[in-house]
Amino acid sequence: MFTGVYNFIYFLISLTVSHSQITRLYSRFTSLDKGENGTLCREDFQRIPELAINPLGDRIINTFFPEGEDQVNFRGFMRTLAHFRPIDDHEKNKDPNVSEPLNSRNNKLLFAFRLYDLDKDDKISRDELLQVLRMMVGVNISDDQLGSIADRTIQEADQDGDSCISFTEFIKVNFYTSP
Amino acid sequence: MPVRDLLSTSSKLSPFQPRYEHLLLLVCVLGTVLPLGVDCNPSAENHQINGTQKKSFPVLSFDYLHVRLPFEIALWILLASLMKLGFHLIPRLSNIVPESCLLIVVGLLVGGLIKVVGEAPPVLDSKVFFLCLLPPIILDAGYFLPIRAFSENTGTILMFAVIGTLWNSFFMGGMLYAVCQIPGTGLENVGLLPSLLFGSIISAVDPVAVLAVFEEIHINELLHILVFGESLLNDAVTVVLYHLFEEYAGVGSVTFMDVLLGVICFLVVSLGGVFMGILYGLIAAFTSRFTSHTRVIEPLFVFLYSYMAYLSAEVFHLSGIMALIACGVVMRPYVEANISQKSHTTIKYFLKMWSSVSETLIFIFLGVSTVAGPHQWNWIFVGCTLLFCLVSRVLGVIGLTSIINKFRIVKLTTKDQFIIAYGGLRGAIAFSLGFLLDKHHFPMRDMFLTAIITVIFFTVFVQGMTIRPLVELLAVKKKQETKRSINEEIHTQFLDHLLTGIEDVCGHYGHHHWKDKLSRFNKKYIKKCLIAGERSKEPQLIAFYHKMEMKQAIELVESGGIPKIPSAVSTVSMQNIKPKRALPQLSKGKEEEIRNILRSNLQRTRQRLRSYNRHTLMADPYEDAWNQMLIRRQKARQLEKRMTNYLTVPANHPDSPTMMRSRLSSDPQGYSLKLNSGNVPAIVVDPATPQSPESMKLQEESSKPGEEDQGIVMRAKLPESSRTDDNVFTPGEDSPKEQRLIRCLSDPGPPPEEEKDDEYQAFLN
Repeated sequence: MFTGVYNFIYFLISLTVSHSQITRLYSRFTSLDKGENGTLCREDFQRIPELAINPLGDRIINTFFPEGEDQVNFRGFMRTLAHFRPIDDHEKNKDPNVSEPLNSRNNKLLFAFRLYDLDKDDKISRDELLQVLRMMVGVNISDDQLGSIADRTIQEADQDGDSCISFTEFIKVNFYTSP
Repeated sequence: MPVRDLLSTSSKLSPFQPRYEHLLLLVCVLGTVLPLGVDCNPSAENHQINGTQKKSFPVLSFDYLHVRLPFEIALWILLASLMKLGFHLIPRLSNIVPESCLLIVVGLLVGGLIKVVGEAPPVLDSKVFFLCLLPPIILDAGYFLPIRAFSENTGTILMFAVIGTLWNSFFMGGMLYAVCQIPGTGLENVGLLPSLLFGSIISAVDPVAVLAVFEEIHINELLHILVFGESLLNDAVTVVLYHLFEEYAGVGSVTFMDVLLGVICFLVVSLGGVFMGILYGLIAAFTSRFTSHTRVIEPLFVFLYSYMAYLSAEVFHLSGIMALIACGVVMRPYVEANISQKSHTTIKYFLKMWSSVSETLIFIFLGVSTVAGPHQWNWIFVGCTLLFCLVSRVLGVIGLTSIINKFRIVKLTTKDQFIIAYGGLRGAIAFSLGFLLDKHHFPMRDMFLTAIITVIFFTVFVQGMTIRPLVELLAVKKKQETKRSINEEIHTQFLDHLLTGIEDVCGHYGHHHWKDKLSRFNKKYIKKCLIAGERSKEPQLIAFYHKMEMKQAIELVESGGIPKIPSAVSTVSMQNIKPKRALPQLSKGKEEEIRNILRSNLQRTRQRLRSYNRHTLMADPYEDAWNQMLIRRQKARQLEKRMTNYLTVPANHPDSPTMMRSRLSSDPQGYSLKLNSGNVPAIVVDPATPQSPESMKLQEESSKPGEEDQGIVMRAKLPESSRTDDNVFTPGEDSPKEQRLIRCLSDPGPPPEEEKDDEYQAFLN
């Protein structure tokens, strides 16, 4: 059951920073950019049909846009996508002074964590969890049931008793190994 | 009959000292072998009543021939099961030697014994093997296949199965042919095609052997699914190659056209098998939609449809194994949504039982056939076969992995490669295929068989025994024994959505994209057809949550109450309940009183038991009781939050008798207590209308403020004495001093206030 999770960590989309990949992504970028001004706005993303029916569509779109901005250029586009690059073994021997590369395991998990945590307080509260559950489950399930699932989830993960899931608890309960 | 006596003595002996177990085994073996020797001497008496002489009426006669076949079959199965039992009684043996080795040794012994007695030992008949012994194992594997792991590694598995097997066959066949051509070996009559045929037989990794060995070493899931998946999927390749070479070995040459046809045949065989399996799987799922009134035969549908899929595939010479796997995989999610919990358990246990027995029988018969079969030993041939087997497997794995790793995300390390290569065990399928060879076309069949058996023995004994210490030595990752938690489930789905979204942004149609499309299609169309009622709209997350809650509720009740709740289960509310009450000891007097009450009530119960009706299994009141409990539990958890002093207070009758321990018994008519003394808290479940929540009545105590918290009290409506056939469900266990029923589920119950009670009752109704 961890292969899915490990695949995420070692990432699914093998976007190596190879020339061909960059070219491909650039052509995708330009095809999405209907206004042809070198940047993407939110509507450009929303035009992708599959993203519209994805429960996490909005959140994913939001990750591309840094705080407060409405436009993202190709560099920002690549920067977000670089989170999903495979962890390169050569990078392990890099100079420790350099800050951790974007696609290290920790950062990937942080990326996922931030998608849950909307108010950016580094904790997943019950309400945030409820929102995520509601998105994934649809409209037919009652609030009570979702509430009990959320409660149980928090209770399984929560170790310091604050009824929220912090990043360390998140890692521990989902991956069973320390990062 | 001597066997019966032996069995009765053995059952008395087994709890005694360990020395007796060796005696037990020997006795069992002898006891089962001797009648096989006996049967050959036909009984003297025959029904030759000529009518001329009047014989005296036979009071006791001996007619063994009449029941010979079923008797022998039953005896063999019994022998297999007793052997299995015996191994696990000997403590250290099962750690060192895998079960399959021991079973083959037993087979050798039994075969030897039979030969000593003077009989011809039975050989593993290929028809029996392929039609009776193999399907249960494959079905068990297919039904419980870990879909996620399998689908994520499909490419790798297919590469190993198809290309790996092809490489093995051709390498082996070619090299053996080359060796046979060397003058002086006496093997010149082995042509190219027979060599290739032999290569194709011996090169297939055997699922039975792999399962038997890998089950015991608990290796990590990735490696397990790689080797095991390979062993399942290479069946198609083996079938095609076998038939191809067998057909043309007589003719003596293979043209390009034949090879092309062979490739097409391979595609037809594999895809056709899968298609057949999917077809039967869908029909089975559709059938299970309507079984709500006949729950008893639900498991039968699963088994029958799967077996039909296998047989239908065999009719067309398609790959039966792939049909069986496909059927199990397709059928499972829909069938499990439709059938009852009991049927689910039944299916699980029957499959495990059959596959276990089959596996045991296969290995024993392998041993017996070794003793029986005609052998022709040729040092060079056998030695070369063994050598080339190992070499080709290692080369194949290394070569394929270097190609595969370019496409894989989680790369296969050298350790992984070693285990994959080492885990390529050969088994009974190879033997049966070799046995099927026609002696006229293949005069060297005996030599082939000898070589096959040698390879099987080598792989099972040497590789099987040493793989466990090697796994330890190499520190290969083991399987993580973790239960699936709700966190993981949520997170896995979350990640799926996330990665699908990212793939869509990139315009990359990868693995996730197609999986998402398939699951959408599934939800929209297929689930509506195949799943009955409301459950068709249930999202996967909710279904998972329900299953988990149900499982834990059952565990809770079976463990008998609150003190044994594992920490993961306890709700937030439990943390607030103050002292962890240790159950007070029963005083002797109270114990006696309890015993008397139980005895008197149970005696009365026995007289009122209804006769068991085979055709109508009681609509399980417990299952619905559980559902109600679960709903109530959730509701209570919310109510609890509004309470300050939610813990209720002692009952009014401190001297009431204790209830029985709750048990989730399979006999719903078991416990109809005569509730004449005091308030025996019980939940009365009306069997007539198990669906209606009104049948569950629960009355709670009102609390008296100021009393110590004693736990939850449940009072039930007392059943009238005339309604003695009610199923009385008495959960929990409590101390005799106070009339307290600690609710077996970990929820604190409703608040003591009256208006909350009404709300609660309103909810229930």
